[in-house]
Amino acid sequence: MGVSISNDHVIGTSAQLKDVIIKPDAPSSLLLDKHADYIAAYGSKKDDYTTTNSGKMDTINVDKAVEFVLSCMNFDGGFGCRPGSESHAGQIYCCTGFLSLTGQLHQLNADLLGWWLCERQLPSGGLNGRPEKLPDVCYSWWVLASLKIIGRIHWIDKAKLRRFILACQDEETGGFADRPGDMVDPFHTLFGVAGLSLLGDEQIKAVNPVLCMPEDVLQRIGLQPDLLS
Amino acid sequence: QHGRVKVKTTAQQEEEKRKEREKKLQIYVAARDACFTKRKDGVFDDEALQLTQQLLSSNPDFATLWNYRREILLHLETVRNQDEVQKIYEAELSFLESCLKVNPKSYGSWHHRGWVSARLPRPDWARELSLCDRCLSLDDRNFHCWDYRRMVVKMSGVPVKQELDFTDRLIGSNFSNYSSWHYRSTLLPLLHPQAPDTPSQCGNPPPSASPQTHFHRVCEEQLLKEYELVQNAFFTDPNDQSAWFYYRWLLGRAERDEMISCVYVSREEERVAVAFSRPVNAQSVGLLLILDGQPQRVEWQSVHPHFKNSPVWICSLPPGTISDVANEHNLTVHWTEKHSHRDCALYTGRSESWCRDTATDLELFRSELSVEKTSVLQSELQSVRQLQELEPLNKWCLLTIILLMRALDPLGYEKETLAHFQTLKDVDSMRSAYYSDLCSKFMIENTILKMEYAEVRVFSISDRKLTTLCHLDQLLLVTHINLSSNQLQQLPPQFAMLQCLEVRIGTLFFLLFFINLNSEISTLADLQPLASCPKLKRLDLRGNPITQTTNAEAELAGLLPSVTDLLL
Repeated sequence: MGVSISNDHVIGTSAQLKDVIIKPDAPSSLLLDKHADYIAAYGSKKDDYTTTNSGKMDTINVDKAVEFVLSCMNFDGGFGCRPGSESHAGQIYCCTGFLSLTGQLHQLNADLLGWWLCERQLPSGGLNGRPEKLPDVCYSWWVLASLKIIGRIHWIDKAKLRRFILACQDEETGGFADRPGDMVDPFHTLFGVAGLSLLGDEQIKAVNPVLCMPEDVLQRIGLQPDLLS
Repeated sequence: QHGRVKVKTTAQQEEEKRKEREKKLQIYVAARDACFTKRKDGVFDDEALQLTQQLLSSNPDFATLWNYRREILLHLETVRNQDEVQKIYEAELSFLESCLKVNPKSYGSWHHRGWVSARLPRPDWARELSLCDRCLSLDDRNFHCWDYRRMVVKMSGVPVKQELDFTDRLIGSNFSNYSSWHYRSTLLPLLHPQAPDTPSQCGNPPPSASPQTHFHRVCEEQLLKEYELVQNAFFTDPNDQSAWFYYRWLLGRAERDEMISCVYVSREEERVAVAFSRPVNAQSVGLLLILDGQPQRVEWQSVHPHFKNSPVWICSLPPGTISDVANEHNLTVHWTEKHSHRDCALYTGRSESWCRDTATDLELFRSELSVEKTSVLQSELQSVRQLQELEPLNKWCLLTIILLMRALDPLGYEKETLAHFQTLKDVDSMRSAYYSDLCSKFMIENTILKMEYAEVRVFSISDRKLTTLCHLDQLLLVTHINLSSNQLQQLPPQFAMLQCLEVRIGTLFFLLFFINLNSEISTLADLQPLASCPKLKRLDLRGNPITQTTNAEAELAGLLPSVTDLLL
């Protein structure tokens, strides 16, 4: 099955071998100042953003919610959208985060799920969202944070992932794209930065894997969701 | 935004593009604002349908507009007769089909189609199924379509067998099969369940539609057929990872029943420890302790304050209750929620007692196999070994060989297992930490099995490159532990599940063994769990990086005040 794609980073000659090639001149260091400028250009006044009123935990039947989430668990230890749906890293992130917040992480099969998650890492070092898909910087968050929550972040090759994330930067405009050479956007910029933080980059504040917020903010309000060790 | 390539253009091209975008934006914004105004005014007319159609054709992810469209349709239901409604919704399905042709992955479009199909007076489920067939033939990993298909199947009562046959066709013809194998994993246990008490009987009526059917296993007869099916797949294409994932599931075993697996009582410590087959919250499941017929008011605590759910719980008895060695006592622990209980008799002259199902009894780490299954798995092992010789760099072969050996004879194949793990770490070095941890887990399982077979309470596993400790809930009764010459970097908090370690009563030699690791103790935090060993007197940390830190002696004295003999 031949593949013709205009982005010359992407390779693929059969369904199984989708991945990207990182060119030698791809960015290899963190361009923090560029990213700061990129995000700042979106506006930083409070009026530029709207917040939604988030519900309170005590208005939800937590037991039933947990039951529903667990009913979405699959043969591979992962989670899909609905009961019976195929496992997907985005859903897995939501479910592991949920199980953390509700104190139900012990219901996971952490070894099995951790294996499925670490198999998301491709030769390029990037992570995909499910088998036989292309790597994408946002999965550096969905997959990595899930691994951190279940205590198995050491199961991926951190150096190779870092190299991939850095290669997704745009040296001219700042920001991160989904994969090297593509257009940047705030969504992928957030997850590129957050992923690097989880990997231990000392230039970035520590991020909490459950809530995707700086740890110091959560410490201030005394919120420390469960993590497996 | 995914997959948008960055293309460089000239300044003039940029300007032309900008003007064009500006024009399109104006039209779009006008239409959108018109919709919002109409909606706010509660207008549900034809123009509203047209405007939303126009906008959704180019942007099917605009969820609010689908919401508005549904409001319009709901309104029309109240003012049109059934035939007209049928026609309106059929037109809607046509519109949706054109949307899906452009973008087959829009949550909004699929959700709306599901909504329409459910409201159609005379639904044509065959047509919907055929739409799914077509969509999946273009992209059999489209999970939106698979989810929609599952809804259609449920609404129209398509037999499970028919869907199984559908997956057969897909798996036989396509490379990218993960979605199909996944679907099979949900269908097989429905059609061929393994009845809990009779593992090898087939043809039992299926259980009531429990959402967690994946936890139900497949009856043996079908399982053996399924092995053959999967083997064909990975022999045809050894790089088809989905078959290997699915095969691992087939080799796995059912979840354990929830039960009390061990009750331990210590006369001297006046303490009762209870181990469960799964982590529980003893404080909320109604755990009752009866001593000599009398219910006891006790406080159950997990081994670490952080763990609200734990497989091991401990309680202290009031002083003097069982301390007199001349008295015999009978204990019962009731798990009222599960209507299950465990008895334990503490005889005169005995300082401790326990009642336990061994890992061997419970088939924790491997199942007893039927003759037929053993034969099938042995021939599979042979086949995969042959494949591995042809494909020495294929990590799936190596891992599967290991899993097959675990299923057949974990102790007999231990040496080979270790060798294969080493090869695996070379072939798939990105995941070497995973393989190290998995190997550690298997070595620990083997050590537990050997310990049980020898009927001793010594857990000794040295020089096995252990990188992690697990199954600590199985070590509740262990008195002596040797973990020397491994690659452990820290003690997990679950270490406190080892309630019988001699260190708690005085002898300290296990710690000398333990600390003799590969020089990885480097921070104070690494030694934190030792702080809960009040009788620790001697600690030899020589050869560990922590000895290099400034002020190490003073900090250690602060952390471990009872240690009088500190070697750095």
